[in-house]
Amino acid sequence: MKAKILFTAILSGLIILSSCKKALDYTPKGVLSSSDLKTPAAIEGLVTAAYAAIGNGDMIGPIYSDWAYGSVRSDDAYKGGGGTSDVGEVDALEHYNLVTPSMDSFVSRTWKNLFKSISRANVALKAVNSLSEADYPNKKTRLAELKFLRAHSYFTMKLLYKNIPIFDENATPDDILKVSNTLSNEDSWNKIAADLQYAIDNLPATQPELARANKLNAQAYLAKLRLYQAYEQDEKHHVININKTRLQEVVTLTQAVISSGKYSLSADIADDFLPETENGPESVFAIQFTINDGTTAGRLNFEDGLNYPHGAPQYGCCGFHAASQNLVNAHTTDVNGLPNFDSFNNSIADLTKVTVDPRLDHTVGIDGHPYKYDNTKPFSNSWVRDPGVYGNFHTMRNQQLATSSSYFKLGPFMGSAKNYDIIRYDDVLLMQAEAYIELGQQANALPLINQIRNRAAASTGRLKKIDGTFPSNYNVKPYTLANWTQEYARKALQWERRLEFATEGARFFDLVRWGIAEKTLNDYINVEKVRRTFLATAKFTAGRDEYLPIPQSEITFTNGLYKQNPGY
Amino acid sequence: MITGTVLDNASKPMDGVTIGVVETQKSVLSDANGKFSISVATGQSIRFSYVGTQPIVITIAADTKVLNIVFKDAANALNEVVVTGYTSERKKDLTGAVAVVDLAPVKNNSSGNTMQALQGRVAGLYIEKDGSANGSTSRILIRGANTLGNNNPLYVIDGIPTTRPEVFQNLSPSNIASVQVLKDASAESIYGSRASNGVIIVTTKNGGNTQGKVQFQFNNSTSVQSEKSLRFKMLNSADRGKALWQASVNDGQDPAAGYGDIYTFNWNGNYNNPVLNSVVPKQFVGGDPNTPAGDTDWQSVLYKTAMVYNNDFTASIGNKNASLEINFGNIKNTGLVRFTKYNRTTGSINGVVRAFDNKATFGVNLKITNSNETLTTTDLGGAATTFLAVTLAPTIPVYQKDGVTYAGESGAGYSDRNNPLHMQDLAKWNNANQVNTFGNVFLEIQPIKNLYFKSNFGADNADYLSKVITPTFQEGALARTTNSLFFDQNHYLSTTFSNTLRYNYDLNSNNHFKLLAGTEYIKTFTDFQTTLKQGYAIQTEDYFTLDAGTGNTIVTGRSTGNSLFSQFARLDYNYASKYLASVTVRRDGSSRFGSNNQYGIFPAASFGWKIDQEGFMKNNTIFSELKLRVGVGRVGNQEIGDQSRFTLYDTRYGTTQNQLTPGFWEQYMNVGTAYSLSGANTGSLPSGFVQTQAANPGLKWESTEEINAGLDFTILHDKISGSFDYFTRRTTGILITPPVASALGEGQSKTVNGASKSNKGWEFLVTYHGQQSGDFNYNVTLNFSHFRDKITDLPENVRPAYPGNIDNTIIGHSQFDIFGYKTNGLFQSQAEADAAPTQIGAGPGRIRYVDINHDGKIDANDQTWIGTTLPALEYGIRIDLTYKKFDLSIFGSGVAGRKGFDVYTLYNNLMHSRENVGPGVFDGWTPQHTNTKVPALTLKDNNNESRTSDYFIVNTSYFKLRNLQIGYTIVPKAVFTRLRVFAMAENVFTLKSKNYLSPDPERIDLGPVPIPKVFSFGINASF
Repeated sequence: MKAKILFTAILSGLIILSSCKKALDYTPKGVLSSSDLKTPAAIEGLVTAAYAAIGNGDMIGPIYSDWAYGSVRSDDAYKGGGGTSDVGEVDALEHYNLVTPSMDSFVSRTWKNLFKSISRANVALKAVNSLSEADYPNKKTRLAELKFLRAHSYFTMKLLYKNIPIFDENATPDDILKVSNTLSNEDSWNKIAADLQYAIDNLPATQPELARANKLNAQAYLAKLRLYQAYEQDEKHHVININKTRLQEVVTLTQAVISSGKYSLSADIADDFLPETENGPESVFAIQFTINDGTTAGRLNFEDGLNYPHGAPQYGCCGFHAASQNLVNAHTTDVNGLPNFDSFNNSIADLTKVTVDPRLDHTVGIDGHPYKYDNTKPFSNSWVRDPGVYGNFHTMRNQQLATSSSYFKLGPFMGSAKNYDIIRYDDVLLMQAEAYIELGQQANALPLINQIRNRAAASTGRLKKIDGTFPSNYNVKPYTLANWTQEYARKALQWERRLEFATEGARFFDLVRWGIAEKTLNDYINVEKVRRTFLATAKFTAGRDEYLPIPQSEITFTNGLYKQNPGY
Repeated sequence: MITGTVLDNASKPMDGVTIGVVETQKSVLSDANGKFSISVATGQSIRFSYVGTQPIVITIAADTKVLNIVFKDAANALNEVVVTGYTSERKKDLTGAVAVVDLAPVKNNSSGNTMQALQGRVAGLYIEKDGSANGSTSRILIRGANTLGNNNPLYVIDGIPTTRPEVFQNLSPSNIASVQVLKDASAESIYGSRASNGVIIVTTKNGGNTQGKVQFQFNNSTSVQSEKSLRFKMLNSADRGKALWQASVNDGQDPAAGYGDIYTFNWNGNYNNPVLNSVVPKQFVGGDPNTPAGDTDWQSVLYKTAMVYNNDFTASIGNKNASLEINFGNIKNTGLVRFTKYNRTTGSINGVVRAFDNKATFGVNLKITNSNETLTTTDLGGAATTFLAVTLAPTIPVYQKDGVTYAGESGAGYSDRNNPLHMQDLAKWNNANQVNTFGNVFLEIQPIKNLYFKSNFGADNADYLSKVITPTFQEGALARTTNSLFFDQNHYLSTTFSNTLRYNYDLNSNNHFKLLAGTEYIKTFTDFQTTLKQGYAIQTEDYFTLDAGTGNTIVTGRSTGNSLFSQFARLDYNYASKYLASVTVRRDGSSRFGSNNQYGIFPAASFGWKIDQEGFMKNNTIFSELKLRVGVGRVGNQEIGDQSRFTLYDTRYGTTQNQLTPGFWEQYMNVGTAYSLSGANTGSLPSGFVQTQAANPGLKWESTEEINAGLDFTILHDKISGSFDYFTRRTTGILITPPVASALGEGQSKTVNGASKSNKGWEFLVTYHGQQSGDFNYNVTLNFSHFRDKITDLPENVRPAYPGNIDNTIIGHSQFDIFGYKTNGLFQSQAEADAAPTQIGAGPGRIRYVDINHDGKIDANDQTWIGTTLPALEYGIRIDLTYKKFDLSIFGSGVAGRKGFDVYTLYNNLMHSRENVGPGVFDGWTPQHTNTKVPALTLKDNNNESRTSDYFIVNTSYFKLRNLQIGYTIVPKAVFTRLRVFAMAENVFTLKSKNYLSPDPERIDLGPVPIPKVFSFGINASF
């Protein structure tokens, strides 16, 4: 009996004492903690991750391709796809008046993705700051690169949402939740500009690694920023003044880039749209994409993944981003090879009869014309997905041939490893031209614009049909000093920008910058809705539709800290 | 002194029979082995009484020393022994809300999923299912949804806990001895940390005493499944053309511009007075002479009749010292959807050995399941084949002219959807293999009288290997250009070691105590691994091996784990079988929580009062049993990621978002850290690190507190028995990972204890035991249950993750409620539309939305709560009849008080430019036809009529006759001891609201496989 009691006592003891402390220890596997990230090598990794972030695109929350925000929202293109409800958020953007702050796709995802990119820069900045220059010789350069990257994301955000919260790497999470978006327009431009100025002051003109930001990149970017800043807006987005000092800065900054001699126009504008010629002389700063790089599909641009011809067997999806009739008409030229400024949209251009700017065939997919320079597979109306709604035109600048080594189809959608140019040399030239014109020095702008036009005229080498003839009658000529008044020059500059960057997404932001979005777009809708009845209910409301709403979710997540943009 | 044993009609010992000497009023209770001893004088009488039975009175003769009594009519459920957590109780002594599941109907179960067979049979257990070949169950809720995350119950099988439902679902029914559902916190809290969603306790058979004879049991059934009568009525080719014409004309759009590649429209061209002469489908799809246009009913193409073959074989042997049971089963389902299939083999060995005069018991239970399945797939764009079977355009033929090559869309006017049969054919080499091994060994010893020590070691091991082969193909204009082989593999192992001490102490004949104390240690590991290989030169099943591919190789993998340590104790007190009390406390520690909050304490107490035992009830003739139960308790939840409390940085070389949060668009979203800094277009990239999670060291247990009150009764001479339970529970500190302001940056979300929910409900169960008359016998059982859960507290910044807006938040609603617009008929004229609040897209024949906030415009702020996906009432009815050798059982169940989405309305009333629609569109509004609910047909939908609104919300309540079974039992002279043949029909008919147009209210959208009608024939044999 005693043995039994003893036995029981031991057992009971075992039960009670078996609560050893180690039982609940657990170390996460395959991950790092903050303390692991203190070495220069690890910090280089954080910088690389910050670069990666600017290319971490999202098809329904884009951060670099402006096909939806800049092209479909402008007079360049329609949403396309299978009817208006297919990716209805872009239809809302196209109609303007359907955009709501609670749209999850696009409006809110883009905001989120841009802040991911900003936070990667901030995390890396903080880590770089923690080391001394002795321990980390790259310190200054990397700080400058990271500030450049941060400025890029903030700039993108500023164009889309205007009123945004801006903070730096020293802000703790608690601080961030106190930063509202009520900073004045001027102050927020200057905050972003300060990052770019730091980059200018601390970056070398040439980096050992091509894709890293350099001094000239920062100068070009700051020029772009100052140009936007020059057109001063009131709270209702109305342009109230054009600031000459800012314009002068644009001239100076662009001149630094131009006179460096590092960049130049490619011989053929097609070089800007093909992977074989990427990182060419015209590419000032580009987001790098790669394929066959050990990732599943490659680090590809999928933001344009819906925008390939639907009915073409080599693609098979999805027919988004269709060029507008207005854009096609805008390419027509008169006998002098100049735009039909006032009459271009009076009728539907008969492309067999009119003369056009060759950039049309670099931009728009047209029945019977080579598509993306492949004359063995000309574009066909049977490739169009929903002609009843969106007509028969398509776009091509940011699409690649299915046979291209940069092309990859994942599921139904297409990715491409072609870099995405953020600033090209043609943009630098036209920025300077614009600044000169608004400064009243339009004569200085003429040769700049004409460089662009002459290059366009020369860009026909890849456009021939298989029978050796051109699909369109090209006639584009430079402007002359005759009649080159400021007003005429402004019109010419605006036209030139439209064609040079057609469907690339610059258009809408240009219109807002110039303060002519409301007039241009409602005029466009009034004509276009007769041709494409789906636009019947579209209407641009000044004082609201220049910018996207602040996502409702972000206002809620911050307990109402952010102020909604006017009109929403 | 007389000793003896009390047995029931199945020769099982009866515990708790009151044995009283009539003359002396002295009484004792029989013990767990049915044994008793009582001092009685010769000539005195002993009365054996037991609830629900006729008392037996025996006068003691002079030489009587031993009395063995058999209660012939003791089939009352109250006598059942119920496993209630590390110990067992008689059902009549229960003080918590515990449902004892009647296993008879589970035995013949065509789905192969034991859980599915329980649907509607247990009050308070809510189950949703679909018709997948593997018998998958989509939602299991015990007493509703108490938390915002995972609401799955805990399963305890032979004392070993697991949260994996498949362990239970795969058990062979003939191997199960008992199933209990612990519903309230007072019953659950002994399982502490993981019990907040309820506990399902399963005990498997281990032979029993067969007097040394080998017994065999064989169950076989063959079932035929068909979904034919449950199809959606969709338009044929010509009618779809008519509808597209009407819609185009309404839009002022030339129908030929949109659909000229598909149809030739012959009409008068007058948009003001349109007249259609004819519409003829074009001869070829996309003008391809190899693809003549079809008139395809895709549902009949995709579905076929499925056969289910179910075989189950059991052998058992035992004597009083040892027993063994071996079970082997196989189920094979040939799949309702073509090219799908499921095959599962189960085996189990359970054995018990008793030694030292039953003072030591050693047992082992082992179950192994091996299953292979090929299920439904999706097309290139991620649409389920089941969805395409309803919505794909009928003009696309199944095959090209050659009758072999699959046809697909091409030309303008089609969707970018694939031929669903082709997709299933391409997916036919896919296979998901699961091997589950679940088992335990235990040792129980009784070192001194009434003291029991039990040590139980168990393991739950699962190996999952899914092979997905994606061949390249060209189908019309759609193509996949890269082929690949993908393996998804994971290995899961959870081990449990528990030790308990039990002591039964009887202070005197009226005061009985049962004490339990124990510890439990659970450790779980999971390893995940995926391998993708691209580039196969030949597309045959055998060629798709990892070595044969020549393209990219992508390998991913991760490991995770957690551990739990618990201490618990329980005290049961029984006073004269009249007053019962039970107190439990459990202390749980989890590695998922930070060191400050690692432990949670989960106490509970419950009380029972057997009113029928009171003196004042002695003379009542109504109640033969009446018991009041009250319980309070707290249980916990730790269903968060294993690493939620840490700050983590991760290297993500080429990670896409869908590897982190699965989703269709997410596969195109790069979230990696690698970048080509050199500007090279290919090659391996430098990569970095990114923060993926913020730490919350203060994370602690989520807890649910519950009060339960119940009443068990048996009345009218045992004719009616039943129980009623009312509960109210409150869950606080709900573990959520709320979205945060994006400005905080990447990887800043963290798990917090953030929300509260409350839940109230009741369950009512009543059985009528029919009066036996001749050879005819019947029982009727009804069960009802109700719950309503609502979110009572949710931080404002978390609310956007749930339905609702600023004016109408989710507070006061369940996460399963539906949020949307209210509608008020159709606009009849432009004037009406102009006079109404501003509504973009308004016009004659368009749906009018209600301006709820009266701000003069219709926008997102005009949404409100318009329905729910969970019913207010769930009920079941079961009727069992026997007549001579025939038996018949009828079982039906249903839900009431459910207002939800009718998916067919979306396709029958509204036009879709790409998808096929139902004939309802021909009732569309026109200026001449205004008395209709169907809006004017449009392909543009400027009014956004497919938005969530009460236009689609109808009463989705239903009643289904789920199971009708008729059997005939013979007792043959030779070989067999019992042979029963049966025929069974399942899902025989459904009653539903006439406003609900979809064929089956249980199939709430087009994704799940329809729940088929099933006809089975089988035998149950013993020999």
